[in-house]
Amino acid sequence: MNEILPLLELKELTKRFGGLAAVNNVSFKVQEGSISGLIGPNGAGKTTIFNLITGVYRVTDGQILFQGKPIHNQEPFKIASGGVTRTFQNIRLFKNLSVFDNVYTACHLSANYGLFASVLRLPRFRREETILRDKARSLLTIMGLEDRQDIAANNLPYGLQRRLEITRALALDPKLLLLDEPAAGMNPDETEQLMRLIGEVRKMFSISVLVIEHHMDLIMGICDHIHVLNFGCTLADGSAEEVANDPKVVEAYLGAEEEKQC
Amino acid sequence: MDQFLQQLVNGLSIGSIYALMAVGYSLVYSIMNFSNFAHGSVIMLGAYFGFYALTALGVPFSVAFFIAACGTAAVAVILERLAYKPLRDRRAPFLYFIITAMGASIFIDNSVIATIGPTPKTFPSELLPSFLQGMPLEWGALNVGRIDIAIFVVAAICLGLLMLFIDLTKLGKAIQATAYNMKASALMGINPNFVIILVFAIGGGLAGVAGVLYGMKYQVFPQMSSITLKSFIAAVFGGLGSLPGALLGSVLLALIETFVSGYLSTQYRDLFAFIILITMLVVRPSGIMGRDAEDKA
Amino acid sequence: MDYIQGIAVLIGINLIAVLGLSILTGFTGLFSFGHGGFMAIGAYVSAVVSSRLNLPYPIAFPMAILAGAAAAGIISVFIGKLTLNLKGDYFCIATMGFGEAVRVVLNNITYVGGARGWANLPQFTTWWVVLVLDVVCVVVAWNLINSRHGRNMVAVREEELAAQMAGVNVFRSKMIALIVSAVLAGIAGALMANYIQFIRPTMFNMAKSTDLTIMVIFGGLGSISGTIAGTILLVSLPEVFRNFAQWRLVIYGLAVIVIMVGRPQGLMGGVELTPSGIRKLLAARRAKAKLEAELKAAEQGDAA
Repeated sequence: MNEILPLLELKELTKRFGGLAAVNNVSFKVQEGSISGLIGPNGAGKTTIFNLITGVYRVTDGQILFQGKPIHNQEPFKIASGGVTRTFQNIRLFKNLSVFDNVYTACHLSANYGLFASVLRLPRFRREETILRDKARSLLTIMGLEDRQDIAANNLPYGLQRRLEITRALALDPKLLLLDEPAAGMNPDETEQLMRLIGEVRKMFSISVLVIEHHMDLIMGICDHIHVLNFGCTLADGSAEEVANDPKVVEAYLGAEEEKQC
Repeated sequence: MDQFLQQLVNGLSIGSIYALMAVGYSLVYSIMNFSNFAHGSVIMLGAYFGFYALTALGVPFSVAFFIAACGTAAVAVILERLAYKPLRDRRAPFLYFIITAMGASIFIDNSVIATIGPTPKTFPSELLPSFLQGMPLEWGALNVGRIDIAIFVVAAICLGLLMLFIDLTKLGKAIQATAYNMKASALMGINPNFVIILVFAIGGGLAGVAGVLYGMKYQVFPQMSSITLKSFIAAVFGGLGSLPGALLGSVLLALIETFVSGYLSTQYRDLFAFIILITMLVVRPSGIMGRDAEDKA
Repeated sequence: MDYIQGIAVLIGINLIAVLGLSILTGFTGLFSFGHGGFMAIGAYVSAVVSSRLNLPYPIAFPMAILAGAAAAGIISVFIGKLTLNLKGDYFCIATMGFGEAVRVVLNNITYVGGARGWANLPQFTTWWVVLVLDVVCVVVAWNLINSRHGRNMVAVREEELAAQMAGVNVFRSKMIALIVSAVLAGIAGALMANYIQFIRPTMFNMAKSTDLTIMVIFGGLGSISGTIAGTILLVSLPEVFRNFAQWRLVIYGLAVIVIMVGRPQGLMGGVELTPSGIRKLLAARRAKAKLEAELKAAEQGDAA
C-alpha cells in the first residue's frame, strides 16, 4: 500500500445551507503535478467546493487535507499563504489598480519587513521592496503582460483580465492553483490559448491545478483526472476517457453538451 | 411595583417611536443590504412637515400626519433615485453609499438650520385634538400621558398595517421575495426597481410618522437626526433585516433605557445603549432574531 | 499676519486627524462616524497631563501629546477587536455609538469639566510645533501607504475577498489602519486642546467626525496629496466666506453627493501630486490609448 500522498484530498466533504446540501459526501484526490478537472452542471456545487477549500465557507462535515494536513475551516488568508490560491468565476481583480500593482500587491508574502521598517524606511525595507518589484516584473513578463503593466485592470480586455487574475494567484508561489471557470466567455481561439497557458504554467511553476469548467474541449484537452458532480454528489471520477465513456455522465451532462453542439 | 409599571409605560412610549424608525430602517436594509444613514434626517423632516402642516397650513391633526408621512416618503424616494440609484447602477463599493448617505444627511440637516433656524419648536397644544390635551390619565398610581397613549396607538396601527401588508398582499410578498433574493425574484417577474421605490417610500413614511410623534412628545429641532443612532442600535439588537426583530429590539432597548434612567441616572442612558450595541456585536452580531449569513464568492 | 498664522495652525492640526482618516477611509475603505471621539480622548487625556500633573515645562507638552495619542490608540484596539470582523454596516454603527458614548461619558466627568467644558488650558501649541508634526505625520503616512502594508490596505478596499485569497490578513490590515487613524486623531486633539485652550465634549461630536471625512472626500479617496489639498481648502474656505457660514455645510453636503455620484476620485483622482505619481498617471493613459488603438486595428483587420 505505497500510495503517494495526494496534494489535496477531500474526505466525505459535506456543506449544508439550512436544509439544502450543496455538497454531499464528496471525496476526491488531487495528485501533485496534475491538472485535475471538476465538472458538473450549474449548481452542482463546484464553486462551493472551491469556497470550502479556500476557507470562505465553513465545512459542515468531512475533511479537507492539503499535503496531508487538515486545512478546512482555517482562515482564508492562512490557506492562501499555505499554498492554495484561486481565481474567481466573476473576475475579482483590484479594478482601479494598474496591472502591475495587482501583481505587486499580491507579492507581499515574499517580503519580510514590518511596520517599523516601512515607516522608518530602513535599508531592509528598500532591499525587500526591490525583490518584490523584480518578482512582479518577472511574473508579468512570463505571463505576457509586461507591456500592459500600466493599464488600470478594469481597462483590460476580458481575456487579459483572466490572465491577470491567474498571474496574481501565482504571485503567492502556490502549490495548488484553483481556477474557477477560467474560460468563461472565451471564443475557441482564446480557449486554446488558455489551455496552452495552463499547461505551461504547470511546467514553469511546478504546480498542480484544479479547474472548474464547462468548456469540454478545455477539460478533455488538459485534464489528467476529472471529477464529475451533480446536485452536490459525486457522479463519476477518473481519467478523461473513463469519464467521457461513463454512461451516467453522458446521460446527465455530456449528452446535453453534444445536443447543444449539433 | 408602581414605579416599575410607570417606567414600563414610559418605556413603551419611546419604544413605539424607536420601533417605527427601526422597522423602516430594517425594511430598507432587508432589500438593499445597506444602511440608509440619512434615515435620521428623514425622521427630522417628518417632524417639521407635521409641525408646519398643523401650524402654517392649519389642517386637522390627522391630515397633518398624513402630509408628514407622504412628504417623508417622497423625500426618501427622491433620495434613493438621485443619490443611491446612480451608485447602484455603477455597482459602486459599499463605502460610497455610506459617504453619500452622510452627505445627504448633512445637506438636509443644514438646509433646515439655514432656512428655518436651529431653535426648537413645540407643537402647540391648542392645535392638537382635544383628547390629547389635558392632564395625564390616571390609572391607580400610574400616570399615563395622553400623548404617550396616542404614540403607542398610532405606532401599533402603523406597524400592524405594515405586517398585514407584507404578509397578506401580493406586493408584500413581492417585497419578501426580493428581500430573500433580488435576482431570483427579478427572474420571476418582480420588478426590483419598483420594489426598491416601494420599500423606500414605506420606510420614509414610517420615519415621518415617527418624527411627528417624537416632535409631539418632545420638541422639533434639526439635531433630531441623531436619534437615528438609537434606531440602528435597536435594529441590530433585534437582528438587522428582520422586521419583527426591529420591533422587539426597539421595545427592549427603550425599556432598558427607561429603567436605567429611572433607577440609575438619566446621564448614563445613552451610554447603556452603546453597551447593549457592543455586547450584541460581541455575543451575537446577527441579533436576537437574525439569521447567520455567509459571504458568497 | 497673526490671522493667517491662526488659520495655518488650524489647517495643520486638522491635517493630522484627516491624514489618519484618509488612511482608514481613503485607503482601507472603512467609514467611521466616531473619530471625533478619538480626538476627544486625545484632547482630554493630554489636558489632564498638561495641566493637572504639574510636570516641568519642557516635558509637559510632549508627554501630554504622547499620552493623548496612546490613550486613543489603546481604545481603538478594543473597538477594532470587537467590530472589525463584522460586516461594514456594523463597524459604522459601532463607531457612531462610540463617538456618542465618549461624549456622554465626558459630559459626566466633572474632573475634566463635564458638559460645560474645561478652560484655561496651557498654550503649548505653536505654529512650528504643528509644522514639525505635520511633516512627520505626512512622511509616516506616505511611508505606510507606499509599503506592502499600505498596498494590502488598498487591496482590502478594492476587493476584500480577493485580498484574502491573495494571502492578505484583512483583519490585521484593518486594525493597523484603525490604530494609526486613532493615534493621529489623538495627536490632533491634544494639539487642539493646547491651542484653543478650551475643550468641551460637543466640540468632538459627530459633526466633527463628518467634517474630517468631508475633507478626505474632497481631496479624493486614495491620495495623500489630495488629503492635504482638501484640508487646506476646507479649513480656509469658511474663513473666506464668513457671511455664508450657515450655508457652508449645506453646500458641502450637496457637494459630497455630487462627488460620490459624479467623480468619486475627488480633487486628485487617486493620483499623487509627486513626480512618480504623475509619471504613473501618464503611463496609464498612454498604455490605455495604445491598447485601444491596437484593439481597433485588430477589429479593422478582422473586418477586412
